[in-house]
Amino acid sequence: MNYQDHFRLKCGALRRLVAIFAVLAVCGAFTAVRAMAADPNAAPMPGEPAGAAPMPGESAANYNDPLEPFNSAMFTFNMKLDKWVVTPVARGYSLVLPEPARVSVGNFFDNVNFLPRFANNLFQLRFQNAATELARFGINTTLGVAGLFDVANSWFGLKRSPDDFGLTLGHYGVYSGPYLMLPFFGPSNIRDAVGLAADGAMNPMAWVLPWWITVPVDAGSEAIEAVNYRSLHPKQFEEADRYAIDLYGAVQDAYTQTRAARLKEINNGD
Amino acid sequence: MIRENGKVTAPGRRNPRFGAIRPLTIFPLAGIMIVAALAIGARSALAANDPQQQVQDLVGKAVPILRDTGTPLPQRRKELIDLLAGHFDFSDMARIALGYHWRDLSADQRSQFVQLFTAFIENAYMGKIQDYKGQDIQVTGERTLQPGYSEVQSRIVQPNKQPIRLDYLLKQDSNGDWKVYDVTVDAISIIANYRNQFNRVINDQGFDKLMADMRTKQEQLQESLGS
Repeated sequence: MNYQDHFRLKCGALRRLVAIFAVLAVCGAFTAVRAMAADPNAAPMPGEPAGAAPMPGESAANYNDPLEPFNSAMFTFNMKLDKWVVTPVARGYSLVLPEPARVSVGNFFDNVNFLPRFANNLFQLRFQNAATELARFGINTTLGVAGLFDVANSWFGLKRSPDDFGLTLGHYGVYSGPYLMLPFFGPSNIRDAVGLAADGAMNPMAWVLPWWITVPVDAGSEAIEAVNYRSLHPKQFEEADRYAIDLYGAVQDAYTQTRAARLKEINNGD
Repeated sequence: MIRENGKVTAPGRRNPRFGAIRPLTIFPLAGIMIVAALAIGARSALAANDPQQQVQDLVGKAVPILRDTGTPLPQRRKELIDLLAGHFDFSDMARIALGYHWRDLSADQRSQFVQLFTAFIENAYMGKIQDYKGQDIQVTGERTLQPGYSEVQSRIVQPNKQPIRLDYLLKQDSNGDWKVYDVTVDAISIIANYRNQFNRVINDQGFDKLMADMRTKQEQLQESLGS
């Protein structure tokens, strides 16, 4: 690699880091404000009249959505994309590939994406889980034939430890920030979107290959992964729609509750 | 749900982007069983003082009823609707689901809403009976939240997949009976989820639009039930 390539690579990584830290600063600002607020499970949200507190065990679900116009547009885009692109492709894909094969494809992508899980377990000082993830990768890549079979779980009982940088940030006190619907990626929030970017930067390919190779390869593999997942869960959105009065709100709340619960699990030591 | 025609399905790998949606569809199915269980238990002479014990004994009795494909479907549905009426506190659920909007409603609007909400949830449940494939339900524990409020944890065991966590929040009423006021599927509280939906619709379009939308959805569910 000559001097110019080396410099360009460093600049790319540096730019990414600067972007990440800029958003982290924003999240930090949110945290400072929220630090004053009481436990959301115990008191009404700011702006809610007293007496609107949830019942014991309930989670407070009324929250602000300042980015709603953008989120709504992205939600519509994602739903249309799913209906007109992903679902038909997934249908054709499932005709070509039988289900066990598609399960294996899912396992393959899961295995390949182990690095963010491993790293974030380390960042959160969950060494047992980090070691498990490392062992899973080793076992599945070798005995599990390049990750196609999750033998680490079925033979050795080593369970996945889902983790990402958004949870790491949350673990260290960064507030989630407003709800954000990302095109293609789905529901998120400011903190988790930063986490997504950070996890993406952990792709080892990005360290050695130029961006015009890694970006299409990443996009392609994400697309295949999405189609594969969709083919294994064909009725998910349709069923959610059947029981929801307002699908946007249902997805928003489901995402928020799931993330909050996962973060609580992690903070309580899993 | 990740189920097609009874075929063995994929091991439970949940994509965090989409995985939040699945629990929204499991709530009705799970709810039927626990309510059937609670209902049968309530016929016993003893007061239902221990929510977990009650659930434990009766999940064992409720599951065979649901597995009983010999009895005609409309009859099973009727039995379950009667059980639901006796053991879910629908007016409480409706009140929580509206959050602070409840205060702004007249008595007439409130009773209309409770009626519609009850019908909606019932139809949602009934549609799920057909999807029941004989999974086992295990009651795993109980936690007292406050005097008179309890959480009972259970799970739906699925072959080759992760079990689905199912938690019930119960409140003791004036007779000492325990009634369900919320169900949490895989850490998503269903009433809180509806609360967010209703809050959005009321804020953006008003209470009457919410009633209209819910009526439409409820009728759609009723139609898809057929008989």
